[in-house]
Amino acid sequence: MADFLLRLSDATKSFGAVRALNGVSFELRAREVHALLGENGAGKSTLIRILTGAHQPDRGHLEIRGQTIRHLSPATAHQLGIACIYQQPTLFPELTVAENLALRLEPVSVTRRVNWRARREHATALLKRVGAVISPDAEIRSLSMPEQQLVEIAGAIGAGARIVIMDEPTASLTSKEQHLLFEVVRELRASGVGVIYISHRLEDIFQLADRVTVLRDGESVGTNQVDDLTEAELIRMMVGREVSQFYPPGEGQPGNPVLSVRRLGCAVTGVREVTLEVRAGEIVGLAGLVGAGRTELARAIFGLTPADSGEIFLQARRVTMRSPQEAVALGIAYVPEDRRRHGVILEMSVAHNLTMAIHRRLFPRAWLRLKAEERLAENFIQQLAIRTDGPSAPVSSLSGGNQQKVSLGRWLATKPKLLILDEPTQGVDVGAKSEIHRIIRELARKGMAVLMISSDLPEVLGMSDRIAVMRAGTIAAILPG
Amino acid sequence: MPKANNWKTRIGGHETVLLAVLIAEWFYFNSVGPRFGSLDNSHDILRHSVEIGLLALALTPIILTGGIDLSLGSLLGLCAIVFGKLWRDAFLPIPIAAGCTLGVGALAGALNALLITKLRLPPLIVTLGTYSLFRGLAEAITRGLDTFTNFPAWFLFLGQEHWWGLPAQALIFLGVAAAFWVLVHRTTCGRSFRAIGFSPEGARYAGLPVERRVALVYMLAGLTAALAAIIYTARVGQAKADAGTGYELFAITAVVLGGTSIFGGVGSVHGTLLGVAAIAVLSNGLVHARQPREVAGMLTGLLLILALSGSALPRLLAGWPRKPTRTPSANST
Repeated sequence: MADFLLRLSDATKSFGAVRALNGVSFELRAREVHALLGENGAGKSTLIRILTGAHQPDRGHLEIRGQTIRHLSPATAHQLGIACIYQQPTLFPELTVAENLALRLEPVSVTRRVNWRARREHATALLKRVGAVISPDAEIRSLSMPEQQLVEIAGAIGAGARIVIMDEPTASLTSKEQHLLFEVVRELRASGVGVIYISHRLEDIFQLADRVTVLRDGESVGTNQVDDLTEAELIRMMVGREVSQFYPPGEGQPGNPVLSVRRLGCAVTGVREVTLEVRAGEIVGLAGLVGAGRTELARAIFGLTPADSGEIFLQARRVTMRSPQEAVALGIAYVPEDRRRHGVILEMSVAHNLTMAIHRRLFPRAWLRLKAEERLAENFIQQLAIRTDGPSAPVSSLSGGNQQKVSLGRWLATKPKLLILDEPTQGVDVGAKSEIHRIIRELARKGMAVLMISSDLPEVLGMSDRIAVMRAGTIAAILPG
Repeated sequence: MPKANNWKTRIGGHETVLLAVLIAEWFYFNSVGPRFGSLDNSHDILRHSVEIGLLALALTPIILTGGIDLSLGSLLGLCAIVFGKLWRDAFLPIPIAAGCTLGVGALAGALNALLITKLRLPPLIVTLGTYSLFRGLAEAITRGLDTFTNFPAWFLFLGQEHWWGLPAQALIFLGVAAAFWVLVHRTTCGRSFRAIGFSPEGARYAGLPVERRVALVYMLAGLTAALAAIIYTARVGQAKADAGTGYELFAITAVVLGGTSIFGGVGSVHGTLLGVAAIAVLSNGLVHARQPREVAGMLTGLLLILALSGSALPRLLAGWPRKPTRTPSANST
């Protein structure tokens, strides 16, 4: 009865000794949004790579639109109408929208002359189909993340994609942008496309998806109609145990102010007139839209882009922060938003990453003590429940949530007075997320002052003792949590 | 998650491949040239590889941080001239002239460092500039004609005689090599060099003193080039403006041959030493095998390509390389 766009049965894939996928079956119908859910490392990425032809399964049977496929290469996947839209758009930032689309859609030939007008018109038409108000002449780097995603989708439609895979498309979107994206996805579905939708956000799945398949440890836990499930059931399927959805409560009175900034400004990044206080034992949530100046404020306090006006007081002592080294020396820690580029050094080991901010304390007179380092790393691996092969495994071999724990652990090792967290649970699975929440609350309980930037509204509301809302580079309001 | 296949990496490991090449070279030349294996010739190889070896040592931390220094050969020439000038025309005693020369070398390195860290210019461009500048200065001082000779015998000892059965400069070289090894492999500085090489931004976010560390490696390189200039003068018996021409390329070749990644982060001092040895033995051995000079250049190139593809083998064995993707446009420093 149902026409299957895609049918993968009993797929198995191993990397060395690790079995990433074990006998997984997955099917996609036309006109459906099929969500794929699972913790980091559950096998979602491997499954996607098989469906896009990037990996070949060791075993399994693949059928696309009724046709058995023996060997799926990226090129045949493209021909068969499979398109993948990644969390980080893969466009060329220096080229225009029309050029980027042309690169995907126009045949490559040295002798063919470019018909610029046709190219622009084609791009305009495609952008219109996804409801995007973007000029075809805009350079990609001038576009926001959601706009870039729309360009990706336009490219997929232009290529006649029948199967669209979306990998965490809403991870960095505001709620308004998210609505727009959902509309586009629904239109895709209405036009007969099958969408595979991957997300950590359960809200997305309940709003958008028709069916959901949950992966855990490389195996399929099951495929269900979304309407038949409650959120708690879905979480249990993912994690394999009950996870409390409650945020750990705060308790007790906050102590003396640890950080106090007065009329702080930084002209280059647009931060202006920020006055804010964070007390010992308190979690202050910093809410606001992406681009409101939250990360910029954190960067000013941490000395990455030093403030040029206003004052910073640390435990009532006036300080200036001209570089991260000074900030670290004064007991400030900053867990940045972009963990792959700033939070960790992917090529280096877990141990080397964990000790990177405490070289002075751990290695007096600059002499490496490898045994002590390994012990410390093992300690943190255990305390933060970091899943890794050991202290000497490269951080790139860890899943996103565990990389985030390494990034956090590096700064906990400095025993900071003030901990600034920038989107601490972005792209982190439910299990790791509640663990990170527990850790943060525990730190505050022990007297640390925490400033937490987050776009995840439930997280801000659930975790914060007070909430500062930023808009256009300054604090617009301070609310009780 | 890719698990490191230990035995594969170890067997195909860069140092192992290089060591095998070195041993093969030794046996081959020994069978071809009757005098190749003699003690005298071994000393000859050592003597001739010290200056390039010093530059290669100095380049290792630089390349680890993802930088490069093309000016070291020229700086060697400039320092040789400064040394000669101070001794002959300023009548300074040799130890003081040598001390001042080391200072000049460090200052020249500091100039590179300043331009790279403060003006944020790419190391390749900065040192391409100082490459011409330093050599030009050396030629200006001597007007391209003057050379400095007639150094006292006790000074020439440093370049031509033996201490404890080894060429004198070889002992200095070993000391410097040990110091560099400790710096790179056993101190937090060495750790930061790698972090900076992998990701300068990541290192900055971790609170590492990125600019100070980068400045350090270029200044150390200047200092080491000055030392190489003094040893060169003692070995050849004269200081002239074209001393060390082209040495920087030999040194870079040795470092890369030794397994240090030109993109930064990966590499070792012992690898560099093996790289220097492989090149030195090759060029010396070819003389004994009665091959023309040009063959040495060709074979060095081949050796470089072979050694690098040799260490790519374990990656091929382990399946597709699964490197983390880097954004193509970022990474300016």
